[in-house]
Amino acid sequence: MLSKRSNGTVKASRLSQAVAGMVGTTIDRRSFLRNSGLAAGGAALLSSGGPSLVRRAEAAPPAAAALKSVLSVCTFCSVGCTIKAEVKDGVWVGQEPQFDSPINNGAHCAKGAAIRDETNSPRRLKYPLKLVGGKWTRVSWDQAITEIGDKMLAIRQASGPDSVYWCGSAKMSNEQCYLIRKYAAFWGSNNVDHQARICHSTTVAGVANTWGYGAMTNSFQDIHNAKSIITFGGNPAEAHPVAMQHILIAREKNNAPFIVVDPRFTRTAAKASEHVQLRPGTDVPVAWGILWHIFENGWEDKDFINQRVWGMDKIRAEVKKWTPEEVERVSGVPGAQLQRVAKTLVENRPGTLTWTLGVTQHTIGNNNTRALCILQLALGNMGKEGGGTNIFRGHDNVQGGTDMGVLCDNLPGYYGLAAGAWKHWSRVWDVDYNYMKSRFASEKLMESDGTPISRWYDLVLTPKDQLDQPDNLKAMVFWGHSVNSLTRLPHQWDAFTKLDLLVVIDPYVPMSAIMGDRTDNTYLLPAASQFETSGSVTASNRSIQWREKVVEPIFESKPDHEIMYLFAKKFGFEQEMFKHIKVNGTEPFVDDITREYNRGMWTIGYTGQSPERLRLHMANQATFDKTTLRANGGPCDGEYFGLPWPCWGTPEMKHPGSPNLYDPSKPVAEGGMGFRARYGVERNGENLLAEGSWPVGSEIKDGYPEFTMAMLKKLGWDADLTADERAMIEKTGGDASNWKVDLSGGIQRVAIKHGCAPYGNAKARCEVWTFPDPIPIHREPLYTPRRDLVEQYPTYKDTRKFRTPVLYASIQNQDFAKDFPLVLTSGCLVEHEGGGAKSRANIWLAEIQPEMFLQINPFDANNAGIRNGQKVVIEGPEGGHIECKAWVTTAVGKGVCWVPYHWGEAIQGKDLTAKFPEGTGPIVTGNPGNAVMTYGYDSVTNIQENKVTLCRVRRA
Amino acid sequence: MQAATRRKPTAFGRILVLLGALLLPLALTASGTAETPEGLPPTMGPPQGNLLMSGNQAEMWRAVRMGISGRVSILDEKAGTLVQSGGEDLRAFRNGPLSSGGGWLLLASVLVVSAFFAYRGRIKIDRGKSGRTVERFTGFERLIHWVMACSFIVLALTGLNMLYGKHVLLPLLGPVAFAELTQLGKYSHNYIAFAFMASVAVMFVMWVSHNLPDRLDVQWLAKGGGLFAKGVHPPAKKFNAGQKVIFWAVVLGGFSIAFSGICLLLPFEIHPFAATFKILNLVGFALPTDLSPLQETQLALLWHGIMALLLIAVIIGHIYIGSLGMQGALAAVTSGQVDENWAREHHSLWLAEHRGEKVGGDD
Amino acid sequence: MARMKFLCDAERCINCNACTTACKNEHDVPWGINRRRVVTLNEGKPGERSISVACMHCSDAPCIAVCPVDCIYQTEQGVVLHNKDLCIGCGYCFYACPFGAPQYPQASNFGSRGKMDKCTFCSGGPETSHRPEEVSKGGYGRNRLAEGKLPLCAEMCSTKALLAGDGDEVSNIYRERALVRGFGSGAWGWGQAYQMKSGS
Repeated sequence: MLSKRSNGTVKASRLSQAVAGMVGTTIDRRSFLRNSGLAAGGAALLSSGGPSLVRRAEAAPPAAAALKSVLSVCTFCSVGCTIKAEVKDGVWVGQEPQFDSPINNGAHCAKGAAIRDETNSPRRLKYPLKLVGGKWTRVSWDQAITEIGDKMLAIRQASGPDSVYWCGSAKMSNEQCYLIRKYAAFWGSNNVDHQARICHSTTVAGVANTWGYGAMTNSFQDIHNAKSIITFGGNPAEAHPVAMQHILIAREKNNAPFIVVDPRFTRTAAKASEHVQLRPGTDVPVAWGILWHIFENGWEDKDFINQRVWGMDKIRAEVKKWTPEEVERVSGVPGAQLQRVAKTLVENRPGTLTWTLGVTQHTIGNNNTRALCILQLALGNMGKEGGGTNIFRGHDNVQGGTDMGVLCDNLPGYYGLAAGAWKHWSRVWDVDYNYMKSRFASEKLMESDGTPISRWYDLVLTPKDQLDQPDNLKAMVFWGHSVNSLTRLPHQWDAFTKLDLLVVIDPYVPMSAIMGDRTDNTYLLPAASQFETSGSVTASNRSIQWREKVVEPIFESKPDHEIMYLFAKKFGFEQEMFKHIKVNGTEPFVDDITREYNRGMWTIGYTGQSPERLRLHMANQATFDKTTLRANGGPCDGEYFGLPWPCWGTPEMKHPGSPNLYDPSKPVAEGGMGFRARYGVERNGENLLAEGSWPVGSEIKDGYPEFTMAMLKKLGWDADLTADERAMIEKTGGDASNWKVDLSGGIQRVAIKHGCAPYGNAKARCEVWTFPDPIPIHREPLYTPRRDLVEQYPTYKDTRKFRTPVLYASIQNQDFAKDFPLVLTSGCLVEHEGGGAKSRANIWLAEIQPEMFLQINPFDANNAGIRNGQKVVIEGPEGGHIECKAWVTTAVGKGVCWVPYHWGEAIQGKDLTAKFPEGTGPIVTGNPGNAVMTYGYDSVTNIQENKVTLCRVRRA
Repeated sequence: MQAATRRKPTAFGRILVLLGALLLPLALTASGTAETPEGLPPTMGPPQGNLLMSGNQAEMWRAVRMGISGRVSILDEKAGTLVQSGGEDLRAFRNGPLSSGGGWLLLASVLVVSAFFAYRGRIKIDRGKSGRTVERFTGFERLIHWVMACSFIVLALTGLNMLYGKHVLLPLLGPVAFAELTQLGKYSHNYIAFAFMASVAVMFVMWVSHNLPDRLDVQWLAKGGGLFAKGVHPPAKKFNAGQKVIFWAVVLGGFSIAFSGICLLLPFEIHPFAATFKILNLVGFALPTDLSPLQETQLALLWHGIMALLLIAVIIGHIYIGSLGMQGALAAVTSGQVDENWAREHHSLWLAEHRGEKVGGDD
Repeated sequence: MARMKFLCDAERCINCNACTTACKNEHDVPWGINRRRVVTLNEGKPGERSISVACMHCSDAPCIAVCPVDCIYQTEQGVVLHNKDLCIGCGYCFYACPFGAPQYPQASNFGSRGKMDKCTFCSGGPETSHRPEEVSKGGYGRNRLAEGKLPLCAEMCSTKALLAGDGDEVSNIYRERALVRGFGSGAWGWGQAYQMKSGS
């Protein structure tokens, strides 16, 4: 299904307005090239072209109205490319490459290069709309807020606050993410979540539980230092194209082998030196298969393991089972190939390991991520330049959104939901803890996880008596989240139909607005894009960049934080919520929000990044090194670009940020650290603290636990505290106060003064004893094509999690493979992102990637009588079916099909395009890939299984 | 003018050369030099000095030059072709043999006619005008003739303008006036073409029965149609062999030009050449049959030009003999009333038949 | 005077289409006109390569040679430009162009396919004084060369695969890269001959 809904005309007038001004602002490419050192060898790797001996405008026109350059950050993926917008008379008229940006060196992918249309697109949602008897009707903001608010208060009255779900977004700025989490807390429910759940939640859980923090350890730029690169389940050429720039530089400069582990021969694999084609869902066997050769040959980094890793022996025992023969039997990867891969990784250290959603979106996603961490630990690649687990996050601010705790099981800064966490944040917010408690239905619900967004519909459809909350979900707010990136769309349809109230807040009209048989009680509120407001955004590498406002909100759209204020006001808690945040009219002051979370996010060092420091970095991008990210001279001298967290202590402490996590070769004050002491000091009598490894300059020359006031006293360092700090610590909890809750930052400051990381210096752990699988093991997917492996590698027993029942064995026990012989997996395309609401409404992106398709191997295509370009129907074992074009290609192996998931204007054969409000919606439409994707959720985070199901394909 | 063989001809190039050899014996190879290295399209390929260029890469670039198609995500399959070498052949042939050969052909046509005029002068009616006339063509027939004639002249002139205008008219008119004229010419060409096509079709139906070859034609041709000597008048029916040649030239040439013209109006849609080559290959040719839509269109463009130039050359002769070259001939298509003596000399059997019928009709 | 050239480093190009959208964004190129496109060869197989292609601004440009109204011309920097005022939309340049660069608003030639449109090397056209009214006139877009900038497609290329600028400079960059690289298909056979690390 493809419709071209705009014929596009030359918008020359807008451009011509700009030209007069542009001719005046000549940018000297020569100086750029000089800066990048073209003359010196090697810079060619970064260069985009020769200095042009171009003519200048001979007859320069009279100086026209000034053309303003504004720096912002791309709102698509997490690489964090700087966008240089050219604005004239309040209109965004052009984009220029920002060569000074150390993140992207002026480069963009299709999305970044087309991003101007995100703001200017005529397909945007222009004013609040309401569904009245099945017809979209324009309403005022006042009316919308009042009506929605009244309905919600009624639901709150009847069913409790947990019957309203606030789904936030990774498209929001850090400030808005923080605010929506705070807002949900004031509403009184943990039913709040965002995209982090559905893309990298298993990464965060797995990685944080291995060594402390759940984030990319190094940076895209640090890949320049890698001697080898291995990517699991990732396709950066399409998902993070600018990251490929850095990978290719390592590949060329260091002659670094590049190994891609993926069921598909992707565009990334086309640039690799080795493609490991595994069966979808067998990442653990492949990781263990590589490790088998490493252990077998004694190639592991024994010193590193002895000093900094706990529990490797148990891994050794598990890995022993994964002989080359067994790995090949389960994953299909030849043993000899993995031997070569292992040897390559060993001989080219430090190597970096990257992964994305091919690893995370599985029922055993947390096992996968931990197995890969362990592989890097065994190789001794952690905490080194050129090493690390470079986990490419998805959305532009999904790292920030996660950090800000827009999650059903966390508060900002990963404080969790226990009473202590609530008390900490109550202190930061300057509200009474008991007031916060009163907002919730009960203390139990306040301290228990909500339901993740991946399963919001289960909260609607599951019978009330099977839920661990008072009532079903009645009202759903999608505040910048698409539903076609979630699985089980036909089930979601029923949930949409059943909802009492649906609110969609978005700059565009996403699929959620047209789902379900709804005729009333549905509202669309136009949110401003990030280019119409300012705020900070955290890139995948933990660097925080500041976006300046490019243009004022267009049409009737409002920035998200203003909409939050409007709702807070409607619900009557705006005084408490915005106690320390200035509100200008109805718009909260962004800088104040930053300053507020600076005061509370001690755990992950989001405390040093004041708005002033972040702005200074953006203004002085040119002073930062393009590999180390460190400023050399200039006002930010010695600091790392974007103050990558942890940026310890207060802004006044001027911590430079931490470029590479767990790197003891630098003093803590300059971004060094060991692994975090997060899991106690010993386990079963074994020491969990580092042995013989500490950050340079540490006064404690060994492992140590996390810092508390008591510890400072014991060390005699408490004398270094100022009186103010000491008073604050005494007020907080005296000796029990630790580095995480000390609002003065004194404990952190003093620890760092003595060369110690506030969070301690421990070993990474290979065994996570709190997880369903303490040692990462392989389990077959629920919908597996390999019935013969189910007995040996069964999934989990059915269980309960996140207030709902979760099924495992009861699904896997049924044999679907006989009727659905092909494995179906999914992924994304470079031109689109997520649910595609904005990329498919972008006239330039829509044109170059207009159609939904299915990739199928020629073997399977021939068996089914399908030819390239024909229409096919894909049917899934849960009854979902879609129709699209077949792309017959050897990129997918025999028995494997692949779909992108960006489309979503049809459900079970029913075309939904007519349901879009007039003039909105995407330009190109198609069937949603995830309508065929089936049940399956990770055992720890309940991320949905997007990567393995079964299907059958026939000609349409 | 560019060299006809700028580089090693591809299979596609060979077809053109073959076509040229078959159809344009007058084609001359124009001079010119290639600026780019052998075998590489201009500016394509790695820059000079790439010492590491390998066998693999070279192989890929070779395949690229052979016109292999890749994948594009936009909905335009043609865009998948990275490099098409047919365009270079098109340019070489069009700017080479076609324009130079066509030029010589037209010049030759005019020269032949002039020489004939110089030799024979205006062919008079031997017996002088009788003063009595007989209706040779009905009003409808004349209408068709003139629709065809006028449209043909417009098509020929606008067509020739596309090929030669920039060398002839552009220097005279200047770029703006010339472009506007040519634009107008292009519109005229595209629409007036339908008048021409229709008139050819009607003419075919109308006159085909009179234009079937018979034994008289041999006789007529043996005597050179009586054109080269005074007083020689081989018998002929409504159309003599010379006129039949014109008829069939117009019908076949017109059809061919019209068909290729339609291919050009709807570019990339109609693919006649591959099918034709398949048939030709049955009788011993070795022409490629896997032509891309673009190659089909390129061939259509060239074929259109070749056939048009040939037909123009023929029609120059026709116009001459129908007007200046022969006394009394023009009347056949103006008033339709030809002098009886003229008719007797050039279409004796037709006149007899015509009269007989008339007499019979009177009975 | 510099001779402007494009060069697409196929070892770098990842088919991300940034060049395509940068071009559309910079010049507000309408739907259906693709001044630049990316083609993937050997898709889904080892040896897959992508190449971004637009008007290459040929030295001896076939389009100029076949244009019946002489509306295509080459600047002293080697940029092939086109005058929309004169263009009659005949399509000959598309038939002749090796790279499929010329684009038309309509597919059919019936009546007219409209005026040809193609890459201007971001230097507008047809006149050279770049007054706004001239730039807006034919929908050529912006004249970056006059502003001392290079074509945006190359400037925004995600992996710096697409190079644009003075031919000598571009060639030097490419050669330097090839020397640094010395792996894979860039140096086929080297791995075997010199026992270099994996890569092909």
